Amino acid sequence: MRSKVFLLTFAFLSIFLAFAAMPNADAEELDLFGYFEPQFIFLYRDGESYQMNSDKLRVDLKRSVGGVEFGSDLIYTLYYGKKNWNILDFFSDDIRNEVPEGMQSYFLVEFKDTLYLDNVYIRMSNSRIACTFGKQQISPGTGYFSNPVDVFNSKDALDPTYEQPGQNGARLDVMLSDRINVMTLYSPIAGDWNGSGKLLRLKIGLGHFDFMFTGYEFKDYLTDFYSPPGISERRRLGGFEFVGELLGLGVWFEGAYNFMEISDDFYEFLVGTDYTFESGLYVLFEYQRNERGKTNYEDYNINDWLRFYLGENKTISRDQMYGMISYPMTDLINLQLLSVLSFNDGSAAIVPVIDYNIFENMDINVMGNIYTGSEGKVYNSRLGNGLVIRARVYF
Amino acid sequence: MLRKYLFVLVLIMCLELVAEDGEVKITAEDIIRTMTETLNPKQSDALMEMTIMTSSNQERTFVYKAYSKNKGEKSLMKYLEPGRVKGQTVLMLNNADDIWMYFPKTKRVRKLATHAKKQKVQGSDFSYEDMGSSDEFIDDYNSVLIGEEQRSEKLCYKLELTKKENSDAGYSRLVMWVEKETYIPYVISYYHEKDSNLLEKELFLSDVEIIDDIPTPMKMVMYNRLDNTKTSMSTKEVAYDVDLSDNLFTEMGMKK
Repeated sequence: MRSKVFLLTFAFLSIFLAFAAMPNADAEELDLFGYFEPQFIFLYRDGESYQMNSDKLRVDLKRSVGGVEFGSDLIYTLYYGKKNWNILDFFSDDIRNEVPEGMQSYFLVEFKDTLYLDNVYIRMSNSRIACTFGKQQISPGTGYFSNPVDVFNSKDALDPTYEQPGQNGARLDVMLSDRINVMTLYSPIAGDWNGSGKLLRLKIGLGHFDFMFTGYEFKDYLTDFYSPPGISERRRLGGFEFVGELLGLGVWFEGAYNFMEISDDFYEFLVGTDYTFESGLYVLFEYQRNERGKTNYEDYNINDWLRFYLGENKTISRDQMYGMISYPMTDLINLQLLSVLSFNDGSAAIVPVIDYNIFENMDINVMGNIYTGSEGKVYNSRLGNGLVIRARVYF
Repeated sequence: MLRKYLFVLVLIMCLELVAEDGEVKITAEDIIRTMTETLNPKQSDALMEMTIMTSSNQERTFVYKAYSKNKGEKSLMKYLEPGRVKGQTVLMLNNADDIWMYFPKTKRVRKLATHAKKQKVQGSDFSYEDMGSSDEFIDDYNSVLIGEEQRSEKLCYKLELTKKENSDAGYSRLVMWVEKETYIPYVISYYHEKDSNLLEKELFLSDVEIIDDIPTPMKMVMYNRLDNTKTSMSTKEVAYDVDLSDNLFTEMGMKK
């Protein structure tokens, strides 16, 4: 660990010095910014209470020289409190009993302190074309809680706006006209052309609507507890999205059909709507259907849970409803209520949130987690009801 | 740019002369049109500072670059400070009928529907509608000239604007005092959408300077009379004699 810390610190300092030393009359000053984020999690489950805390430091560097931009960010996270968990403890007894006693230790997870370069990229652009090479943010999709066309990131529906890790790739954005854009991406995931990710995305603006078409081919992996090591196969995704306005309401749709090499083809879609009332009250609803999800909770098995937690499947149950109500109580305090409901098993998660901009560059965020479902359902209390207090100081 | 200013000046002089002859009086529509022309130059590139004074007397200051084109039909705001919003960008096209927001941490662009125009900009007393809609006084309201009044030590036209039936404007009625000489609205009173007698906000413009031949209010203060808060906006730098590319007002322009 110590040598990794040294190497990454050395790499980041080297990038910093290279950026700072870059002599050019057109260059903007080196931009150094980021945040420090302490987080406290209190969890109550099965009659026991737990604490798991973390301190996260993110340092961003950015410098532009003419049409070339260099960017990187380093994230250092320290964990305290209960750091060792067995994933099986969160599952129902039926599912836990599927795992032989001798294999249960395989499901131990330890939160270790981490230091990594989250993004490091170079972007060359003129007014119509941009090429980006390196580890970068790639976040397609119009949905708020979940994104069927986004296979790069795995959103937490209970904290959907939290930042996502960078992805390696070479990306080309071309603006064909003011409201027509094409994006291509080559992501060398498996180290060979056939296995690597190849994405083409077209965005067209028509009137008050934006339409997006996505094609993506990549090597997908699906965990299979019953026949390890799982399924590794080619996946071809065809996606369609739109976002716009109908009868004064914001409306959007995001759908994907997945052609699988070995496993069954499946579709996934999400529709959403939102509205802002005169009082400032904002409401948002989304419905998501995932053909890979199960309709009867008694059919959920360990594969469903593992694939969900590993981000391989976006949902466990087939039909989900998401809701958000947000109200600016004062200029500095915003109240939110998020809820996620599984139509198939009737369980729900409710997340009340308070956002407080306590100082100019400091936010405090308090989130509750309340699960209503009984054991075995998607949002069951065995997952642990709790409270998250997160502060973020920007510099 | 000079030609446009001269055109506006000649238009103003003609309107005044005709009115003095007593044959044709200046109409409310003429005043609103000339005022809109004055407030929305063909292009602008500005550095702005917005300070919010909350009801608990706390201040929050935002610094942003503001670009506009086609007399305000296209506009783009990019936040520079504070760090928590740095890089966030708002693009408004078609007089803020189409709004996109860019979040740099996730590199995600989100399109907002027109109802979002009612939302406060960074918790301030300005809504997106207040900031981005250049032709709202013409398109969304019927205007009547009530008379002339002294306001902020300036001789002003007093106008009343009432919301058109099919308009989705966020206010039922506006009363404004437009200075006769420069056609700058020194005071605008905004009345609640549901109650046309309930004063919701008041906007005061001041410190008018001539920049690139265009009279420019360097300071604006919006008072929210219901929440007892205020937001002041000052122009730190502004240039009108600029050539802004259309490409700036695109998704790619937001990410630059």
